[in-house]
Amino acid sequence: MKRSAKNAAIAAPENGSATKRAKGSKNGHGDLASRFYGIPLPGVNIEDLSGNLIVIEGSDGSGRSTQISLITEWLESEGFAVQTMGLRRSFLVGEDIDGLLAENAVTRMTLALMYGTDFYDQLERRILPALRSGLIVLADRYIFTLIARSAVRGISRDYLHGVYEMALVPDLTFWLNVRPEVAFDREFKKANTISYWESGRDMSLSNDLFQSFVRYQSMIKREFEYLSKRHGFIELDGEGSVSEVNRVLRKRIASHLGIRGTRYSPSHALAHLWR
Amino acid sequence: MATATPDIVAGAEATPEKALAPKREFPGALVVVEGIDGSGKSTQLYLLKRWLQIGGYRIHFTEWNSSPLVKSATRRGKQRRLLTPATFSLLHAADFADRCERQILPLLHGGYLVLADRYVYTAFARDAARGCSPRWLRNLYSFAPTPDITFYFRAPLDVAVNRITAGRPKLKYYEAGMDLGISLDRAESFRIFQERILGNYDQMVETDHFVLMDGTMRVNKLQKQMRQILSERIELGQFAPKKKK
Repeated sequence: MKRSAKNAAIAAPENGSATKRAKGSKNGHGDLASRFYGIPLPGVNIEDLSGNLIVIEGSDGSGRSTQISLITEWLESEGFAVQTMGLRRSFLVGEDIDGLLAENAVTRMTLALMYGTDFYDQLERRILPALRSGLIVLADRYIFTLIARSAVRGISRDYLHGVYEMALVPDLTFWLNVRPEVAFDREFKKANTISYWESGRDMSLSNDLFQSFVRYQSMIKREFEYLSKRHGFIELDGEGSVSEVNRVLRKRIASHLGIRGTRYSPSHALAHLWR
Repeated sequence: MATATPDIVAGAEATPEKALAPKREFPGALVVVEGIDGSGKSTQLYLLKRWLQIGGYRIHFTEWNSSPLVKSATRRGKQRRLLTPATFSLLHAADFADRCERQILPLLHGGYLVLADRYVYTAFARDAARGCSPRWLRNLYSFAPTPDITFYFRAPLDVAVNRITAGRPKLKYYEAGMDLGISLDRAESFRIFQERILGNYDQMVETDHFVLMDGTMRVNKLQKQMRQILSERIELGQFAPKKKK
């Protein structure tokens, strides 16, 4: 599809420009108009948003949730209040999506739009109020996973970027990149099996679960490589140790928020994650 | 701030929107009715459907906001008044997508005449009246097949509003556009909301090739006209019952 200024979907950023710009402004926010990808959400006054939105993306088994628990604890110990968000956590449709996933009746476009509803409900009822109150919002996945999942199922990227044009542009987006084979090992150990959707079985890629998982996650990974260039992700080696990945995350977040020290060791409650 | 530099296009909102997919790859036909509440569209489509049903034609009737998959979410959102312009719109798009992918498209490919009571233009007119960007809405529904005929039933605001308020003791919250905060009086809010929707419909008459129908005409005369236009523009023979040889 031809892209023109007229129907510009979420626009491509210049790589690396984000961090430079962020340092120049007082609270890390660039010019106000740039906080949405294309179209501002109705009824939102962008000047009220004093908090920060930090996104951690990565496939299942990339260590996302572990890192979010640790980063939350670290930020709280530094005196920052944290709000989290993630997929299917909206009050409006979170449970409905769980229901749809449990059946096989749902089609790709319906699912994409239900996830879209879930996203915007959280954006409007959870993220924006938190940002107005000056909180740090940690997003356990964001629009990028939603775009990638639908794109590999044949929905046009322009269409998907258009749906998320009213999404807020994150301050920082980290991508924990892992090879599908490694993600498979980690996910399998968690539940002794691999879920239907994680292995993309709706796409009829292979009857073998391992093959299906690896092919599906490889397709998702390719979409992420494209998205990473387009949106300037900070790519991290998700196969590194938890403490090493966490150290890099802390460093980047600290410099963005103006935190001086980045020393941290997990509390007793989270010590089991530190391996 | 920001990992990305958004591309803000000055005046993008004012440019003409993307047309619906013009390409046809199916033997069926799609006929839709549009218009504000009380314009008479549902009555007319019902009569058209009965005419075709009695004649034994292969038809399917589908209604806006009726997908069972999305129903509970819509009900919860409306009852608890959780919906914003964006989520209201997305939830209806999900509903439409479900009907589109599981009914409308398969039936069009299977050679059916599909009749739709309200179509994407309802979203364009109504959600834009709620403050959603027309460009965003056009993209959201760009997967919808373009109708063969869009009958637009137009009645003056007073006529339509009186038809609705006379038959309904209490207007529902979202139906009356109360979420917009136009007025605390439901009847007043409904009227202003419908007026905005009417204005948005009128703007689409030319761009989206609406067939204008006078909603103030007598029911049977209007139906006669509708049947005539349908017969002229669609080869109904292809949907007729197959005769045994």
